[in-house]
This record gives sequence, C-alpha cells and structure tokens, in this order.
Amino acid sequence: MVELPRPAAIRCDGVVRANDPVSSGLLCLDLELEQPVSFLPGQFAMLNLAGDSSLVFSRPFSIFAAVGPVVSFLYREVGRGTRAMGALKPGDPLTFLGPLGHSFPVPDPRQPVVLIAGGVGLPPLAAWLEATGDGCERRVNAFFGARDGADVPWGILGDKWNVSVDNLVGMPPGRDAWHGLVTEMVAARADLRDGPPQTVLACGPTPLLKAARKLAAGRGWPCWLSLEEHMGCGYGVCKGCVVPVHDPGRGGGALRNATCCEEGPVFNAELLAWD
Amino acid sequence: MPVAPRHRKRIILSVPGWWKTDPNLPFTLGPRVIPGRIWTASGCFAYGLSGHDISAPDIPSPYVGIGAVVTKTVTPAPRTGNPMPRLVETGTGAINSIGLENVGFEEFLAVTLPDLESRGVPTVVSLAATRPDQFGEMAGRLQEKAAGYTHWHGVELNLSCPNVAEGGHDFGRDPDTVAACVQSTRAQLPDRALLAKLTPNVTDIAALATAAVDAGADAVSAINTVIGLDVDLATGQPVLPRRFGGYSGPAIRPIALAKVDEIVSRSGVPVVGVGGIENFEDALKFFALGAVAVQVGTAQMRDPFAAARIARALAL
Repeated sequence: MVELPRPAAIRCDGVVRANDPVSSGLLCLDLELEQPVSFLPGQFAMLNLAGDSSLVFSRPFSIFAAVGPVVSFLYREVGRGTRAMGALKPGDPLTFLGPLGHSFPVPDPRQPVVLIAGGVGLPPLAAWLEATGDGCERRVNAFFGARDGADVPWGILGDKWNVSVDNLVGMPPGRDAWHGLVTEMVAARADLRDGPPQTVLACGPTPLLKAARKLAAGRGWPCWLSLEEHMGCGYGVCKGCVVPVHDPGRGGGALRNATCCEEGPVFNAELLAWD
Repeated sequence: MPVAPRHRKRIILSVPGWWKTDPNLPFTLGPRVIPGRIWTASGCFAYGLSGHDISAPDIPSPYVGIGAVVTKTVTPAPRTGNPMPRLVETGTGAINSIGLENVGFEEFLAVTLPDLESRGVPTVVSLAATRPDQFGEMAGRLQEKAAGYTHWHGVELNLSCPNVAEGGHDFGRDPDTVAACVQSTRAQLPDRALLAKLTPNVTDIAALATAAVDAGADAVSAINTVIGLDVDLATGQPVLPRRFGGYSGPAIRPIALAKVDEIVSRSGVPVVGVGGIENFEDALKFFALGAVAVQVGTAQMRDPFAAARIARALAL
C-alpha cells in the first residue's frame, strides 16, 4: 500500500469552459487554469468566485479529472457557494487552490479493490479507477449509489460501475440498478464475501462511509474513506475542519484532532474515532 | 428609475499619491527592526510553515514581502480545541470557535520555532495563558532558547480570545490585568518587540492600549475578533456548540478602523491594524489612520498569497 508523491499545490485563476448538468442533481464544471495541473485521485481543490464577488471562504471540491490546464469537478448545489457556482457561464472567472490533501492509496497490483461511491462522492473514485484500475491484473469492483435513476450520471459511469438507487423512479430505459443502499449491494455480493480479501475505497455521505467501514471491519478488509467536511482554508492553517482520530503513538485509546484538509481527506477507516 | 451598477465602483486604481512608505522596507518597533509592515494575523496562517509548498504563476512564494507571520496562538500546555463545527460563514464575515487548538509551548519551542528560524520566516509568536505570570515564563523560555535567532522578532499577547470558555481567561477587558500580563512578559523580553492584541468587545479600547504601552508594550494590535453568534434555523439553536465565536472578515473592517482611530487619536500609541483586510486598498485605510503595520487574517485563509499580494501592490 503506497501513496504516490503528491504534486505541489498552485494558487491561480481559471476560466469556466463548461458547467453543465450530468444528472438531475449533479453538475460538471470544467475550469481552464493559467497553467497545467496534475493531481492524485482523492485530492481536492478550493474554488472561489473571483474579485468583488469572492466568498469569505473558498469551497472544497474533489478533483474529478485534469487534462493539461483543464480541471473538472462534479458538484451539487447545496448552499450559497455551490448555488453561485451553478450560475457560472463559460468565460466566467474562478480562483483555484490545489491540488490539496492526501490521495487514496494504491494497493499492491494483485490486491482486489472495491470502490464504493455515493452521489457527489463519485469524482475521486472515478479518477482512481481511471488512473489505477485499468490495464493491470488488479480486479476492481466499482459500486455507485444515487438517490434515484435520474440522479445517476449514466454518461460518466459507462459500463464499469454497478449502480444502486434508493428510489427506482427516473430509471432510463435499458438501464439496470439495484434497489437499495449501495453498501447493501456490496454486502449482497456472494463472490466478494466468499472470495479473497478486498481493499475498500469509499467516498460519499457519512452514513455511507460508516456502513462501508462496518462492512470492511466485519470482514477484516482494509478500508480507506474520503471524508467531506466544511473547510475554511483547505491548506491546514485554520484548524476549522478537524476530525477526531485515534492516536496509536500515544496509546491508551488516546484521541487527537486531525485536519481533514491536510491529513485527509482520505483516512484509514481504522483511525477514525467514530464510535 | 436608477439602475444599480453591477460591480462596486473602484475609487482607487493604484496607490494614491499620499502613500510614501514602502511597507516592504524594515521599520523599528520598540527594540527590534521588523522586516516589513504587512504581516499575517494570528490563527490565519497556522505556525507559518504551511505555505512553503504552494506556488502561484505571479508570485514565487506566499512569504515574499511578509514582514512577520504572527503564529497561531501557543498556550503553556497543548489544547485540542473546541468540538466541530468550528466555523460559520455569514455573508461577508465568518465566526470561528477553534478554541485555541495548538501543539503547546514545549513542542512549539522545541520543533516549530527552530523550523521557522531555519526557513527564515520572520516570526512574531502569539502567546496565551491563564495567569499573567505564565506569559513571563514563556517569554523567558523563548529568550533562553532563541536569543541567537535572527528571524524571531517578537511576541504578541493574545489577551482577548473570546471563544475560550474558561473562567477568567478573557484578560483583555481589564486594563490592570492587561498591564500585569505585559509587565510579566516585558521583564523577560529585553530585545524583541512586544505587542498586546486588544479585544474590540469593550467600551474603552484606548484605555486598554494606554495600559498596555505604559506597562511596556511596544505597540498594540487592534482588533481581535468581535463576539458573534449565528442561529441554525432548522434547529433554532446556535450553529456553534459554544454558542459564541469570534467574528472576522471584511464585515468587521469598519469596526477595526474605528477602534484603530480611537486608539491613535486618544492614546497615541503605535498600532498594528488588523480586521477584515483583503487587499491593498483595505491596508491603506489602516495606514491612513496611523497604523505602523497591518495584519492580514481571514483573507489569508482564502488565499495563501493575500498578504504577499498586498505587500507587492504597496511597494514603491
């Protein structure tokens, strides 16, 4: 299990090249930066409106893809910042700080992997699959869960992902999905349960992460989770996004606060003090 | 019918003619020469070590032009800080309740400060404590350890962090206690700058400034955060677990300017202006009122280069 050397972060301006819905609730934003950028799957960037429209805090988004100077994000309009992002048109400016944080690790090539993504948690795992999952002997099973059929970005998922939906409405003709939670879909797979140990990589809402962690722990599988947390700075200075983690170095069940932005957002599930 | 302009009109497009001081040049503050007048504020750039791996196309480093990094506040013992959530953005400001999370003075002294020195980061160490004599003890240890350091320039006393819920911690409202904390520190700190950071949550900030300087401070930093609260309408409860937090960001700039003006005009003591500074125009307003230096706080969280950009824009 290794983490690759992280590319250095840059802070620069960008111009929106595209900002379009990819499902009923998810949008994909392509941002062309002043210079090329590379990233590791699981790393994120802080985005903000430019100039006088700037929000007090930038907003964190997992990086979905980066090709040359164009970096892409998937997001959902949930608050003031993402609503403002949803209104951006091609040509509008945005500021970029990234890539930030730690990525998902790369397990041994022979180690089978289960990816569990929920909703807007798709980007880092889709990027991981794109970068790591193909072209080697590794066996990867990818699972994606959405609210309903209309909220699934079918065009992005292609045929590599097993899809679950909480609600069967909005299913396009010719598409299949498991009806229920994505973690239930994983748990129901007898070949995974009875096969060799898997490494679980998950990103999505906290209930999904907790269920993924429980599933992995019950089977003795390693598990890495990408956490979503409100952030002030994204680069470790404000201490506004801490997560309580076990501190094995101090022993005795000691806990400490880890910054989600700098030490995460990807954590070894065993270290999280969620109990 | 008048139509509101889409963008706020910019009154100043470049540095005005009355501005004759290059903030990138060293200046004297008490017994110390500080490398420049644009600083980063405590708690907004961590310990000053987080910007080394970040670059920008137009500025080589977040440290270019920074006169001093005021560190995250350090306390005698490590603190884990407050429960989450710790931050709320409210329009043009933000309320924080970090709770002085820090590594503790011993680790700071053994690891962080030597690292800052070896990297050449101009440093002002922010200290908080629960008794006035603890400030002196920490200052004495600093002096012992770092007497030969060339980049450690001074100490800023955090006397007014309103989000630490410990009885009697908020020293900053009583002039006698402010004086006691300053005296205790000054006695151990002969050749470094000593600043007292003042709370705006008082009726007479000028009296506090006078008390601090009379007790031996070289300047005051004004202002610390304004006490603030936000309510989560879904629950009807305050958003922050401790109800109140420290309000910062551009929303408090007019308050900071008013307090700086009050201190300068009534106390006449040197002031380092802080509160809502985002760009060089904001910084100039503090300098126009007589501030000897300024600190960039919340804006530094959004842009690691915020202070460096201001220093560049004001270079003559």
